[in-house]
Amino acid sequence: MSQGIKLEWRAREELFINLEPLQRGGVVPAEARKIALSYIDGYSTCDYCLGTLHILKKPPICDFLVEVADFLGMDRAILTHGCREAKFAIMHAITKPGQAMVMDENKHYTSYVAAERAGLKIYEIPSNGYPDFKIEPEEYVNTIENVKKETGELPALVLLTHVDWTYGNLVDAEKIGKICREYHVPFLLNTAYSSGRMPINGKRLLADFTTCSGHKSWAAGAGVVGILAIRDEWKDKVFKPSQRYKVKPIEILGCSARGSSALVLMASFPYVKERVKHWDEELEKARWFSSQMESLGGIRQLGDKPHNHDLMRFETPIFDRIAQKHKRKGYFLYEELLKRSIVGIKMGRTKTFDLSTYGLTKEQLSYVIDSFKDIINKFS
Amino acid sequence: MTKKIVEKTFEALFALEDLREVLRKTTPFYNLTEEQKEEVKTIVLKVRKALDEIEEKI
Repeated sequence: MSQGIKLEWRAREELFINLEPLQRGGVVPAEARKIALSYIDGYSTCDYCLGTLHILKKPPICDFLVEVADFLGMDRAILTHGCREAKFAIMHAITKPGQAMVMDENKHYTSYVAAERAGLKIYEIPSNGYPDFKIEPEEYVNTIENVKKETGELPALVLLTHVDWTYGNLVDAEKIGKICREYHVPFLLNTAYSSGRMPINGKRLLADFTTCSGHKSWAAGAGVVGILAIRDEWKDKVFKPSQRYKVKPIEILGCSARGSSALVLMASFPYVKERVKHWDEELEKARWFSSQMESLGGIRQLGDKPHNHDLMRFETPIFDRIAQKHKRKGYFLYEELLKRSIVGIKMGRTKTFDLSTYGLTKEQLSYVIDSFKDIINKFS
Repeated sequence: MTKKIVEKTFEALFALEDLREVLRKTTPFYNLTEEQKEEVKTIVLKVRKALDEIEEKI
């Protein structure tokens, strides 16, 4: 009989300081891990099925979605398998193949891929380039005008990545919302790295749609899960039910996250509601960390300055110079950090690297700074 | 009898998640505060008690 694939147990959060920017906002609190343990079996949400996931009373998914919509400053919310599925659902529901869509250059690749899957013609808003890589809201006007000139029509949808995954730049969404209002173009705000970490009010930002990532920023693991929140006026298009299966919304293929990931998202919600109130403390820590890193010399934080998010990219010629002479080349930095119980910097990267300070204590972050300093001193 | 064992199994598992939380909060130095030390002691007692009860019931 086969012994199966041997899997290692994972204890990154218990044994190390984990700086991985993808993972910091998805670290799950104890109460939610307990729920994950009991709901780990397949279709565990469906013990008291009422026909579709978003109307369930037990577990109270329906009530939870009402609260989530309110928390996001939107009218309605539904669960999706992730933020990318939420974006695609909107694109598929409100556009037709061949139509134009506008998105920022700093977008996540899934925004682009979702638009490709929906058959849309993509127009990108360029950033202002090195070293800030800012998306200037005014550029949306130019690109919308360009679409109009080239196609004779307005874009079918405009997307903004509220905080991008590379530089952690925060864009003024309200300004772009106003531009979209002026042109009467629907506005999709991708909050994969903002909602769940910082306070967000979709309506105040003039968004028609808000998409969220449970596993990136809502302390939800045990699989993947996202949220699609909308204004009421879009419900007939985006939450349109199947003609035959009347309770099943077409765009999420009836039911989405049918298991522990949905329950973990729910169990983490009180914790998330509380933590967004402390966003200013996270921001203060991130800015302090950035300045400490730069003070080591030969390190530059790219993107917004002062920085407005915990996710950061550093340009690090000092480590790259060491890598060129080191026998382990670019791997030396990862290995030196590992020796000091620090993980999350991509293996082999020394020219630039990304990290997040989210949820780490000042003591832990001071230790990270001291470790970088120690590595520089060791090899200089 | 079975229900009690199931209950105690979850009780022990959940208490261990609380222990995991202390480890997560203090990594990589594990310099526990007095309060955290007390918390760990309480967790260990809780787990031990739950396991003893399971053993008794079997």
